[in-house]
Amino acid sequence: MSTFILMKILESAPSRYDRGIKMLTFGGVEKAYDNLVAPVKKGDTVLDIGCGTGALTMRAARKGARIKGIDINVDMLDIAKRRINDAGFSGTVEFYEMGVGEMDTLKTASYDVIMSGLCFSELTNDELRFTLKEVKRLLKPGGYFLLADEVIPENILFRVLQWLIRFPLVIITYIFTQTTTHAVRNITLKIRGIGFQIQSKKLSFLKSFIELTARKPEER
Amino acid sequence: MNSLKYFIINAIETMLRMVPFPTKTGVIKIGNPDRNSPVFLTCNFHLTVERVKRALKGMDCYLLVAKSKGINVWCAATGGLFTHHDVISVLKTSGIEELVDHRKVILPQLAATGIEGKIVRQKSDWHVIWGPVYAKDIPAFIRNKLKKNVQMRVVRFPFVQRVEMAIAWAFPISSIAALLILPFWRHLILPLSALIWGMSFFIFLAFPLFENRLSARGKRIGFIVFDFGRGGIQLALWGFFLLLVFGYAAAFHQVNANFILRWSFITLVTTLLFSMDLMGSTPVFKSSLHEDRLLKISIDNNKCKTAGFCELVCPRNCYEIDRHAHNTTIPRADYCVQCGACIVQCPYDALFFKGSDGKILTPEKIRKYKLNLSGKHLVKVG
Repeated sequence: MSTFILMKILESAPSRYDRGIKMLTFGGVEKAYDNLVAPVKKGDTVLDIGCGTGALTMRAARKGARIKGIDINVDMLDIAKRRINDAGFSGTVEFYEMGVGEMDTLKTASYDVIMSGLCFSELTNDELRFTLKEVKRLLKPGGYFLLADEVIPENILFRVLQWLIRFPLVIITYIFTQTTTHAVRNITLKIRGIGFQIQSKKLSFLKSFIELTARKPEER
Repeated sequence: MNSLKYFIINAIETMLRMVPFPTKTGVIKIGNPDRNSPVFLTCNFHLTVERVKRALKGMDCYLLVAKSKGINVWCAATGGLFTHHDVISVLKTSGIEELVDHRKVILPQLAATGIEGKIVRQKSDWHVIWGPVYAKDIPAFIRNKLKKNVQMRVVRFPFVQRVEMAIAWAFPISSIAALLILPFWRHLILPLSALIWGMSFFIFLAFPLFENRLSARGKRIGFIVFDFGRGGIQLALWGFFLLLVFGYAAAFHQVNANFILRWSFITLVTTLLFSMDLMGSTPVFKSSLHEDRLLKISIDNNKCKTAGFCELVCPRNCYEIDRHAHNTTIPRADYCVQCGACIVQCPYDALFFKGSDGKILTPEKIRKYKLNLSGKHLVKVG
């Protein structure tokens, strides 16, 4: 009942995901993640949306935070769990098979930091809107929202350049790792739209990769 | 005009049937729905959405398109790319909750391999109803007060679908072959393509003739498993195509060693290519590519409480339920395509798979990893 090619693609995806992402960003994703977790402090409660294989989770765990990682890909969660256990952080990190649509079951104002790496670009527009609404609800006042993701450059020239460079790269990456991503549009605007203050924003790789730190305002 | 567009979409996407075609997710209004209109849900494979929309024409209802990475319902659900998370997500984020007063969503039956109705219910207010296999049965399903008869529950491989599969195989294979021989034998592109299309159509159209001889326990040569194991049908097919080639050669006085060798080789390779996963290309057989994954559906009658979900979601009508005697049997287990839908949906965990080595595959494991099991075994920490 299955089609050969399709099954092959499905089966081999998770184990090659990390490699695929590294190829797509020329290895830059590692450094971006290192920078991104800067605001995480010891003892913070952290939510990692779309934790995948645990790249961001691990960095926050090393800083002594308590983290909840959610993702819908069970194979990736398995890899993340194994990594976290091997590093000895199983006491402070927990993983749940949970999609963004289920975030409304989490407790209001219960996180100091919410972070997400290369997950928003996989969401539909409806999901993105819903997720940002939930991020606002779940963060404590003054809490941080950290985002690293692929974006569509606002400048048309960069958009064309990005497309030209990305196109062959996407093909090569897809052939070798069956991994690909889709860029998000106007993310800074959307985050301002929920009333967050942008604290820092860095665009790299021809303005197509964003590292963003935003903050939920303190209650007055 | 619309019909022409529909035809072109169908033609192009059938030729590229093996490639995912994602389309926009969210709510689609059909007719003039009100707050009590039925809500249907499907995957975001473009061709499927177009066909479901056509099947729903004339009704007043909502169609939800959920994310399945642009892959069809059955493949995506069984491969773990179309799960309850995607269903919950579209129910909660698309705005459908503001449009209707009820909380019932009708899902395609084939999605039962990957979507757990129980979890959708737990994590949202929505109640899952398993609809028919084919969208064209939806109007009858509604008239029948959301009850399915056997015809609505089983997969078939009728003429039209066989033509589609023939095109879906012939187009990519002939395109790749044409590209490969372009630098050397440009003049052969046309006859070779004609041969590939002809063989593909012949194999799929003649399918009912040799269907009964196909065996999942085929013979393995290297990494290739042939579906025509003991019957040696691929040899017969090869012979048939050779006859055609020789007939052509004799008719046009081209008989020479070079010609015969070349075309014998080409027909052999193409026959093998088509017989490689013929069974997996049909909805009525289990793919034979992974012999180690030939599993047998089994029931623990001590756990069974005849809830009947197995019968409701089985696309091969394997089950027989005797509600008076409180007994479920699997008299047609031979027809099982090992989609796992019954195991995933059984509320009492009474069903499981047994491997040829006697190993048991539990419902828990199938629900977690779907039937994408080798993916699990291949996972390495990167």
